[in-house]
Order: sequence, then structure tokens, then C-alpha cells
Amino acid sequence: MLKLFSAMAGMLAVAAVASADVEIQAGGATFPNPIYQQWIKDFGAAHGDVKIAYAAKGSGAGISGLLDKTFDFAGSDAPMSAEELAKASAAGGDVVEVPSVAGAVVLAYDLPSVNGQLNLSGSVIADMYLGKIKSWDDPAIKALNPGVTLPSTPLTTVHRSDGSGTNFVFTSFLCTQSDDFQTKVNFGKTVNWPEGGQAGQGNQGVTQAIQKTEGAIGYIELNYALQNHIAFALVQNNAGKFVQASPDSVSAAGDGALKDMDAQKTLAVGLWDRDGDNAYPISSFTYLICYKDLGYLKDKAKAQAIVDYFWYASHDGQKEAPDLSYAPLSSGVQSRVEQALKTIVYDGQPLPPSGQ
Amino acid sequence: MLAGRSLFGGRSFSDVALHSASTACASAILLMLVALVVVLFIAAAPSIKHFGFHFLVTSEWRPNPLPVLKLGANGKPIRDPITRMKVVDHYIPPNFGAVASLYGTALTSALALVLAVPLSLGAALFLVRVAPGWMVAPVSFMVEFLAAIPSIAYGLWGMFVLGPWLGGDARWIHFGFIPFPAGIEGWLSNILRHVWGLRWLAEQNVNGVNVPISTTGRDIFIAGVVLGIMVIPIITAIGRDVLKNVPLAQIEGSIALGATWWQSCIEMVKFSRSALFGAVILGLARAAGETMAVLMVMGNSMTIPTSPFQPGTTMAATLAGEFPEASTNDLYRGALMEVALILLIMSLAFNIVARYLVVGKSSRSAMAH
Amino acid sequence: MLANIHIARAKLISRIMRVVCVGCAVLIVGTLTLITGYLLAIGIHSLNWSFFVNLPQDNPPGMRNSIEGTIILVALASLVGIPMGMLAGVHLSEYESNSRLASPVRFVADVLAGVPSIVVGILGYELLVVPAGTYSGWAGALALAFIMIPIVARTTEEMLRLVPGSYREASIALGATKARTIVSVVIPSATGSIVTGAMLAVARVAGETAPLLFTAVGSPYVVHNPSKPFPSLTLRIYELSNEPSPEARAQAWSGILVLIALIFVVNLGVRYFTRPRRTHR
Repeated sequence: MLKLFSAMAGMLAVAAVASADVEIQAGGATFPNPIYQQWIKDFGAAHGDVKIAYAAKGSGAGISGLLDKTFDFAGSDAPMSAEELAKASAAGGDVVEVPSVAGAVVLAYDLPSVNGQLNLSGSVIADMYLGKIKSWDDPAIKALNPGVTLPSTPLTTVHRSDGSGTNFVFTSFLCTQSDDFQTKVNFGKTVNWPEGGQAGQGNQGVTQAIQKTEGAIGYIELNYALQNHIAFALVQNNAGKFVQASPDSVSAAGDGALKDMDAQKTLAVGLWDRDGDNAYPISSFTYLICYKDLGYLKDKAKAQAIVDYFWYASHDGQKEAPDLSYAPLSSGVQSRVEQALKTIVYDGQPLPPSGQ
Repeated sequence: MLAGRSLFGGRSFSDVALHSASTACASAILLMLVALVVVLFIAAAPSIKHFGFHFLVTSEWRPNPLPVLKLGANGKPIRDPITRMKVVDHYIPPNFGAVASLYGTALTSALALVLAVPLSLGAALFLVRVAPGWMVAPVSFMVEFLAAIPSIAYGLWGMFVLGPWLGGDARWIHFGFIPFPAGIEGWLSNILRHVWGLRWLAEQNVNGVNVPISTTGRDIFIAGVVLGIMVIPIITAIGRDVLKNVPLAQIEGSIALGATWWQSCIEMVKFSRSALFGAVILGLARAAGETMAVLMVMGNSMTIPTSPFQPGTTMAATLAGEFPEASTNDLYRGALMEVALILLIMSLAFNIVARYLVVGKSSRSAMAH
Repeated sequence: MLANIHIARAKLISRIMRVVCVGCAVLIVGTLTLITGYLLAIGIHSLNWSFFVNLPQDNPPGMRNSIEGTIILVALASLVGIPMGMLAGVHLSEYESNSRLASPVRFVADVLAGVPSIVVGILGYELLVVPAGTYSGWAGALALAFIMIPIVARTTEEMLRLVPGSYREASIALGATKARTIVSVVIPSATGSIVTGAMLAVARVAGETAPLLFTAVGSPYVVHNPSKPFPSLTLRIYELSNEPSPEARAQAWSGILVLIALIFVVNLGVRYFTRPRRTHR
């Protein structure tokens, strides 16, 4: 017994002395998790002494962690609300929210008997989630897909059980498409879903739920659908066209973003329901969020690492976006991001990214 | 000579040390309970103050506000000409209530007991009245091993093995030539739809039409089954101990009066009915507090479904799923804490009642499990 | 005549119910066999050497840090929980006569043992994570200790009570202090069973997930410093259970196998310690 105690104590002592590494605890959105994990790996390879742990637990958990300072930075597809910003002010001051990539929320479904991709429109999707459409051979779905034989399989909707930015984007989109949805459910990171749907935890949990249930349909990020070979629908945009989600159609949705960013004086701008023939209607930025004054960390190396990581994400990291089916930031948005990153300070002193 | 003697009123240092240390640790246990109740109560205070009693009767669980749209002359919503967004007249603020979670907890626990109590009683009677001496220890060990399986293992097994087997349409699967029924929920659903008065259990109302529910294997029913299996060891173990303690005279007396084996069993059960009831309540407490297994198989839908073949949620599962984002919104966090408080109070109540029933007023117990 | 029919029917029912009881036991044992058999089979099928050596980021991914994490967390929890529980048990058993605490503590310990573990986790979060500003292995270990203490206290008490009073009387008669009696006579007489109780509590918390969800929270790296977010086998399995890929699922099953093996080893160790001995030392 005594030997075990002293061995433990020794191990702890050694560990405490030996770790001169910078360890960053982060977490949040599952939407960008595939590319964030890639960036963490590559950034870690270039900066051997920096270890970043990103816990993909949902945008809600990310912002929550940032507010109680258990996360050094957060990932979220939903921009921080006024209440959250007020809490952040009280907790540590202003925050810096910068978009890292843009992605698409796709409607993935499990219908083995249907080949090819179905067409869906926002109002039909809203009716599915409101419980008005309960089987796949419903006339509303048939109307959008003439010539496709739809089975009579019961339709099970899958939604997010955790606080989710993907949820925020999806419900925001549906609110623009259906008055009924807006007045009954509205948008948010967590909403009150009408009866009958299943829930999954994280984008990965929803993906899994879709895979396991025949006739299920759910909303997930494009990368998850592609990686797991799940069929997803073409969604009708404002121009009336049924658009396939892809980095190009998401970029098309991002075309008007710069103007709105300058007009609304914020980098947190929604990309859903945008005009443009090729725009995918359920697109969204995803954001990296940290406090503007990182002095509270009491660790300059860690603060520097955070700024460097954000810089890496918005510059070198962008090259990897299309491979993982995310849309890179346009150069205009990128320069806005650079401006925002340069406002980060450490105890009031500017903390520019290394080499800038 | 003097040092060890009158320093502590005639007691040695080691005496005082051990006495103080053990008293401190014993009081720590009291402190632990107080801390639990106080901390949860304080954390739930914002919600208690805001909702009051309504929290216990509201089934809505809505962290976001609902807009009431401003309607134009034609009855359609007005749109802002610049942003093209619909104009909101006012918002209905967020609303939380524990009923959906309470309902799920109650239903899954009830299902679990319906499954577990008969099986456990039967097994307990087997161990005490039927099994030959050499069989008692190994069988007891195996039953208790069910309790040693961690709840996450039950969750995983329920998700990937039991769920697919129970859910889906009624069908037969084949092991070589041997057909085996699958889609148990489908079978049950088909049967229920032909039983007068129980049809509603297997159907749901869609746009005015009653349609059979599609059973996915991720619902209240499977959660009840998994919980039932988890709860069997507790009821069996306590049941066996309680039945073992029935005085031989009782049993012999009833046999002398001409009772059959089964009738004497009934006498035993009647004799220890309050302790057995306590065992059942302990099982109930365990089922109600179980988190991981339920979280993974129940479908996590914050609603009050009419049928056990639909997804639902329990208090513990709601806590595990939604707690991480709680810090962003004070009322939301308070509501979650209030659910936690209700869960705690419920479990304390069950355990207190069970203890009285099993142990009685005496302090010795068969409960040190 | 009528009486004979009644008796015959009662006898028939009795025979049927007897079979039913046997059936219940068979069903339960059968279910156990099915479950553990499946877990063993599929766990072994997915197990490979890299599982024990690699980290989640490596290719193929492994669970080395989570296995280490669980062992360390349980060890830390036992460091706190077993001594405190045993001391409390000593108080309940040996000092009962002059203590007003004993009766309420016994009651509360029984009641606390049944508190849902997620509530303990939330308590840990509020008291240990928020003020510290970070998730930590300490918070996780202490949450586990919270679960252990009432269990260890009650089993220690029960086992100490079984020691005959004559042992204590003889010790006092020989001039030993009460403390000396307890430490040198009473406890050693019940060592085997006390260790049983402690090990059962250890096995129980090794399999817990919910208390760690908001305290230790998990980590993809090898962590030896308990002041930081700490990995755990149960947390990692839970994370993997949500992943859609078959590889993640295979990993989860292997993790379950390792976890159950750990728990089983502890349980077997317990049986070994409590095997009937010829003499007491």
C-alpha cells in the first residue's frame, strides 16, 4: 500500500515538472470537428510543444465552457447571443468571434430502396419536423420528386439532443421557410421539438441514428454524410433550384456575406436562405471564439498559442477545407478575420500572431 | 509516565486520535448528504423562484422564446423590407417543466419493475426453496454478476444488440434452419392492435388518422427492458436474504396444515411482504436513477408519448444530455438543477422508505450490499 | 370428493409454479450468459495489441490513455474513499455506545448509497470544477470517492460487528487501550471481509460513467496530472458509442471487454481474499 502511494506521488511530481508543454483545452461544435481535428494535428506537428484538446460536445457546451473558463477557446456554429455576450463581459470581457470555415447542413436519410438523391424544399422539411409528414410516400414529397418511386416506409425525424450550433442553423433556415415552424418551434441551439422524433448527441450521434433506422431523416454537416456514405437530399433554394451541397454551393451562399458583415459591423453573419442560383440554402459559417484579453490565462505562451492557432486556421488551414468538403473563407472575409485577430491583447498589450 | 496519562483525561493519544478521526469521518457522511441537498437547492433557486409550482405540472421544455408574428391585413406575416425577415410582435418567453422527464422516469421504471419483480421473486424462491445446497452459491454469484456489469456496457448492448432485435417490424430471422422471432415490438404492436381497448398503445394520430407506430428499437420500451435486467440482481439478492430469514416454524407450520409447496411459498412471501416491498422499492430507486444505459437507448425526446414504443426521456438522461450547455442561460441551468433536485429528493424518499421496510426500526441490516 | 379435486388442483398449481420458479432462475442466468458471452465474444474479436499501446489520435487508434486514466482515477478515489469509509465504519461499530452520531450516520449512509451517480457528478461540478475554473481528475476522483464512502462504511461496520465481543474484552483485560484493541485485534480479525467490502466498492466505481461526465470530462491525451481534464475508459467508450463508424464501435466493444475484465479481476480477488481460512492471525 505504502509503496503504491509513494509511486503515485513520485509520478505526479515528475509529471508536474516535466510538462513544460502548452496545453490548451477547447471544445464546442461538432459541425467543424473533422477539420478542426485535422488542423490540430497539423498545427501540433509544426509546433511540437503545443497540445490542443478539442472536445466536440456541441456549440452549447463550447460557449458554456468559455463562459466558465473551462475552455480556453470555443467552437460554435451559432454566434453568441446577447445574453451570452453579457455573461462573457462579466466573466472576462469582450470576446473575439471569427469564422474559420463555412459548411453545409444536409438532410441525410436512410432509404435503401431509393437510388439517387431526393429533392426536398424547406417547407416540406419543416412539415416533416412538425410531425405533419409521417411516411415517405406522402404527396408533398412525391410532388417534389416526380418519377421516383417512394416506399411507404414510416418517416422518423432525427434531431439533436444537445445544445447545437447545427441545430441553430437548421432551425433558423426552417423559420424562414415555414411560418408554422417559426411560431411553434422557432430557432435556437436547443428547441422544443414536436413529438415523435429521435435524438442523437452531436453530429456523429445523429449520423449514427440515421444509419440505424430505416426511414430516418436527419440534419448533419456535409462531411459526416460523405464520410459515412449516407444519401442526402438536394434542397431548394430561393431561386427555386434544387442545389447539391458542396464547397462551391456553400461559397456561392457566402457571396453576399462581406457586405452584411460591414453593414452589421459583425463577423457573425448567417449564410442560410441566401439569394443566388447556385447557393446552397442551409449553409453556415462556424466560429472560433476566445476572450479579447487573454491575460486571465496567466500564461503568455498559451495565449500566444491560441492566437497562432486561430491565425493558422484562417490561413494555412484553409487549403485543407475543400478536401474535407468545407468551403474556405473568401479573401475579403479573411482580411476581416485578420483585423479581428489583431485586436487580441494580453493584459492590455497587443498580442499579434507569431511572425506578424 | 505523565505524557501518556492525564493529558487527555486519562486516555492515551492513540485513543483520542482514533476516536476523533473516526468521528470526523462519520460526520463527513452527514455533511455529504447536507452538501448534496443544499448545493442543488441553491443552484435550482432561480428556477424555483421563477416557476414555482408550475414546474411540476408543465410538460413543455423550451429553452428558446417563441415569436408571435405581426400579421398584416391579409392575415399573412409582415416582412421587414430591408432584411426580408418576418416582423415579430412579441415573444413568449422560455418555459420549462419537469413533467416530460418525470413521465419518462415513471414509465421506464414501471416497465422495469413489471419485468424484474416476477422474475426476481421466482429466482429468490428458487434459491431458497428449490435449489439443492451446492447450487445456491454459484447461482447467487451469477445473479450478482449481473449487477457488476457497468451500466455503460448495458447501454452499448442495448443500443447495438437488444435494440435492433426488439425494434422494427415483426419478422423471423434464421440461424441456419432455425427460425427465431425478431422485431418483438412489432409483434407486440400487432397483438395490441387486436386487443380491445389497448389499440391506442400501438398507434399514433397523424393528421387525424390513426397510423401504426414505426417501432425503431430506440424508445421507452427498450429502456424499460434494459432497466429491468439491471434491477433484477438487487431484488433477487435482498429477496433471497429476506426469504431465508423466514422462521422455519412458519414454513413447517403451513405444511403441517396441508399446504402445498407453492402455498407455503405464498405464506413465506406474505410473512415478509413489507421487506420484499422494500426490496422492490430499492430496485425502483435504482431504475429511476440510472443514467447511461437509458441515455443510450431511449431516443432522447423531450415529449410525453402515448405509446411505450416511442422515444422519450428520463430525468437522469435529460441531465446528462443537456447539462453541458447549462451555463449559457441562467433559467435553463436553474431548470436543469431543479430536475436534478427532484431526482435527488425522489431517490432519497425511495431509499428512506425502503430502508424502513427492509430493516425496520432495528439498525442491523441485510442492506450492506 | 370435492375436496380431492381442490387438493389435486392445488397440487398441480404447486408443481407448475415450482417449474416456473426454476424457469425464472434459468431465464436470469441465461440472460447473464447471453450478455456476457456476447460482450466477451465481440470484445475479443475487436481487440488487438495496438488497443493497449496507441492513443486515440494514432492510426490504428487505441485506448492507452483511457485505461491508465481509469486506473489512476480509481486509485485516487480509493485513496480517499477507503480510509474515510473504514474510519466511519469503525465509528459506527466500535464507538456506538457513546455516540449520538452513530444512528443517524448509519441511516444516512444507507440512503446515500442509493443516490443517482449523475447527481453526485453535478455536485462535483458545482463544488470542485467551477471554483477551480477547470475540469480535473481530482474532481472526478472525489466524485467517485463520494460514492465509495457510504458503501465502505456500512460494509466495514457490518464486518466489524461480526467479530465476537470476547476478542475485545480479552484485549482490554490484557491492558490495551481501545484504539490498540481496534487496530490490533478487531480489524485484523475481519480483514478479509473488510477488504471484500472495499474491493466491491472499487469495482463499482470503476464502471461508473455519469459522475465523470462533468468532472473529469475526458481527454484525448496521456494525462498524469490530476489537476487537468482526465481520461477515463468509461468516458471514452461513451464518446465512441456516438460515433457512426464501425471502427469506433469495435473500439467501444474492446473497451467494454477491458473494463469488465478489470472489474472481474477485482471481484475474483475479493473471492480469493475471503476464502475460508483455517486460522485467524
